[in-house]
Amino acid sequence: MKLIDAWHLSRTPYREVVYRSLAEEKGRMWWGAFGKSHFDRERQNDFELTKRVLRIAKFDKLIVAAFCVMSSAMPFTSLFSGSRVLGLASSISLSLAVTFGFTALYAIQTLSSFVSAESSALLSTLPLSKDDFSKITLFSFIRSVDYMVVGAIVSQAILVATLTTSPVATLLMLVASTMNAVFAVTVALWFSRLFHRNLMRGGRSKSGTILRLVFIVMWGSLLLGVGLLLSIPWYIVPHLEMALLGVDQLSNLLFLIIYPFSAGTALANLVYPNAASSAVLIASGAMIGYFMLAGAAAKWSIETVKHVSKEAGVKIARMQTQDFSIKTRSPVLGYVIKDLRISSRNPATAFFFALPVLETLIVSLLVANYQTLKVSAVLVATVTGGILSLLMPLALLNAEGTGLEYTKTLPVNAHRIMTSKALITTATYVPVPLTILGMSFMKQLTSPMAAMIPFLTMLAIASASVFEIKLFLNSAAIGRIAAVTQDVEKLVAGVLIALIPEIAYVASYLISYNHVAAILAMGGTVVVELALALYVLRGS
Amino acid sequence: MSGTPPPPSRPLIEISGLSKQFGSVQALTGLDLRVMPGEIYGLLGPNGAGKTTTIRIITGLVEPTSGWVKVVDFDPVKCPIEVKSRIGYVAENPILYESLSPRDFLEFVASMRKIDKASANRRVTQLASAFDMSQYFDSPIATLSMGMKQKVALIAALVHQPPILLLDEPLNGLDAKSSRIVKDLVSLHADRGGAVLFSTHIMEVAEHICTRIGIIHKGKVIAEGTLDQLRKKTGGKSKTLEEVLLELTNEEAQVADATRMLGEAIFNK
Repeated sequence: MKLIDAWHLSRTPYREVVYRSLAEEKGRMWWGAFGKSHFDRERQNDFELTKRVLRIAKFDKLIVAAFCVMSSAMPFTSLFSGSRVLGLASSISLSLAVTFGFTALYAIQTLSSFVSAESSALLSTLPLSKDDFSKITLFSFIRSVDYMVVGAIVSQAILVATLTTSPVATLLMLVASTMNAVFAVTVALWFSRLFHRNLMRGGRSKSGTILRLVFIVMWGSLLLGVGLLLSIPWYIVPHLEMALLGVDQLSNLLFLIIYPFSAGTALANLVYPNAASSAVLIASGAMIGYFMLAGAAAKWSIETVKHVSKEAGVKIARMQTQDFSIKTRSPVLGYVIKDLRISSRNPATAFFFALPVLETLIVSLLVANYQTLKVSAVLVATVTGGILSLLMPLALLNAEGTGLEYTKTLPVNAHRIMTSKALITTATYVPVPLTILGMSFMKQLTSPMAAMIPFLTMLAIASASVFEIKLFLNSAAIGRIAAVTQDVEKLVAGVLIALIPEIAYVASYLISYNHVAAILAMGGTVVVELALALYVLRGS
Repeated sequence: MSGTPPPPSRPLIEISGLSKQFGSVQALTGLDLRVMPGEIYGLLGPNGAGKTTTIRIITGLVEPTSGWVKVVDFDPVKCPIEVKSRIGYVAENPILYESLSPRDFLEFVASMRKIDKASANRRVTQLASAFDMSQYFDSPIATLSMGMKQKVALIAALVHQPPILLLDEPLNGLDAKSSRIVKDLVSLHADRGGAVLFSTHIMEVAEHICTRIGIIHKGKVIAEGTLDQLRKKTGGKSKTLEEVLLELTNEEAQVADATRMLGEAIFNK
């Protein structure tokens, strides 16, 4: 079979992968009965539904690719200030790191379905040679990440070409970007496979639970890494500068060796060769090592993808048991436990369980630099933590997937579902007030009222999550699968609701210059929001 | 059984003038049906006749366009919780939470149905043992065969001892032993005063376990009664249920035509 024919044929299994992952994660057409109006899934023609899923998948893919390209270009703005060498080195490093994170995060969304080999089930029944089968499978895999990978590679190369006018630097940037994409896709594939295997293994063993927790923390750390790189370039830049001046310290040496900083350093010095020769040598040596590693990663990925059909039968350890005992709980707790289980077993949602860790770290970083714990710092930290927590309801709603079809046959009201998801969301926020409370014992407070702000915000988060879920259910009542941008609308609404009490605090303080009056205003707003949230819950 | 069954003279399921339109497709057109306590009502008909839609309306999953449904005197649209707590439903292709194990899933179902721990454990243990689930009870549902998934759905439908069972092709994928268990369970359920609405394409099953059969065609019940009563309607005492069904739905001639055409298409050069 010609490569071009295999590429065309790969469209079908690719579409199947996309359809499965999107329908599973955004199974909101099954949410209809819990929305404001009763919706029958059957009302929508299956053909129309499939077409819409695929259209949205394409739109989501374009949006994410555009966002990835924009994010990969952002670090290059640092070139316009400070040292040219330093600017280029840090821009390239950060751009590669951000692209790596985005590509890996996006790829894992679609690869979960891919590694389960369901997509190749139909292909495997056709009279295709092993080679043709492998080609089609490989191409359908490439289609999963093509827009963002090609977009990032081309944009990074164009930026370097424009900014440096060096053909060699452009060529090297192309190589580095391609390596970067290979690393990102390999990591995503590896994670997806590990998750899939872990899921297939089943059981309730402690080792399985620990393994899952380790995955979640690792996955969350990757996310944190990308977030940190985006938000603290000022922290990285001085280290890079030191690294370029010489390799006296261990941390500086690490920056030259660790990818992608080594790529940035090596490339920048090719264009502006004024760094210490030892630094350039180390960075270049590291790049050769990474080049070889990328080759091995690409080989592993290709082999893994080619054998995806054989992997369909992951060894499933069936454990004999005569103990059929089950634990019954209250409906809300039962729903919470079910939500935690299904979300933690889905690589696309599991990383949300690292939120408490991320929130603790981010809040600590945000307030750590202050000698005195100012109210303004507490407000910024609580809002940051709140935004992260409010990602949770959408993750939980999307994680329900097709299984919700069964829940609709059970005697369960929408308010129970909303309550359980709001409880989980609020629980993920708990580390924020606790961290700030802990900090308040170590630092002087500008006002004792500052320690109360995060606890009141926690209640505002609970209310905001209820409204966020309600908005989701109302839009689901229309019975349509929505694009990723429509999820953002719900998130923005939730964040705004959580912000209102903080705005009340600030406004009241600006009027009265009294922290007690401000906290009373905030408390009053929180109570009103809670009352409204309870009203919404009761009416659901 | 949970919920108090009404007096024996009252139907457990009552449907009158039920219509359902999906866009331009008229799925049900004035369907009437009654299932009494102690009855196993077989709902038979060609693909697309409206069997699944009828069952889904009874469960409250689909809202009718017109007509009404009463389940133990409750309207599934107005009182969905009351209805859902009184029925055990097995869908044609049960969609479950694939990442959960049967144990996790049944814990969820029992919690949602507010079943006390002792009763839930006793029933789950009995049903899981009967269905030979010992090797699969802690495996993710995604890894189970269709038959095993069907067993999980059946256990979930029976765990709260509902007065009404709505079984849409419940024997799909089941092995002989499990099929027999389900059939015996259904008979036992009816013997104890429960009602069963049983949709199937397996005529032998309907012949053997259903106390009354309704033939549904183009969205309405076109004939109803015991097998003998249906035979009388078609004027053939020794006719099988399959022959009765094909005759009542006017599909005998279509079957002959289709077989001839396919024979020519597949076997003739």
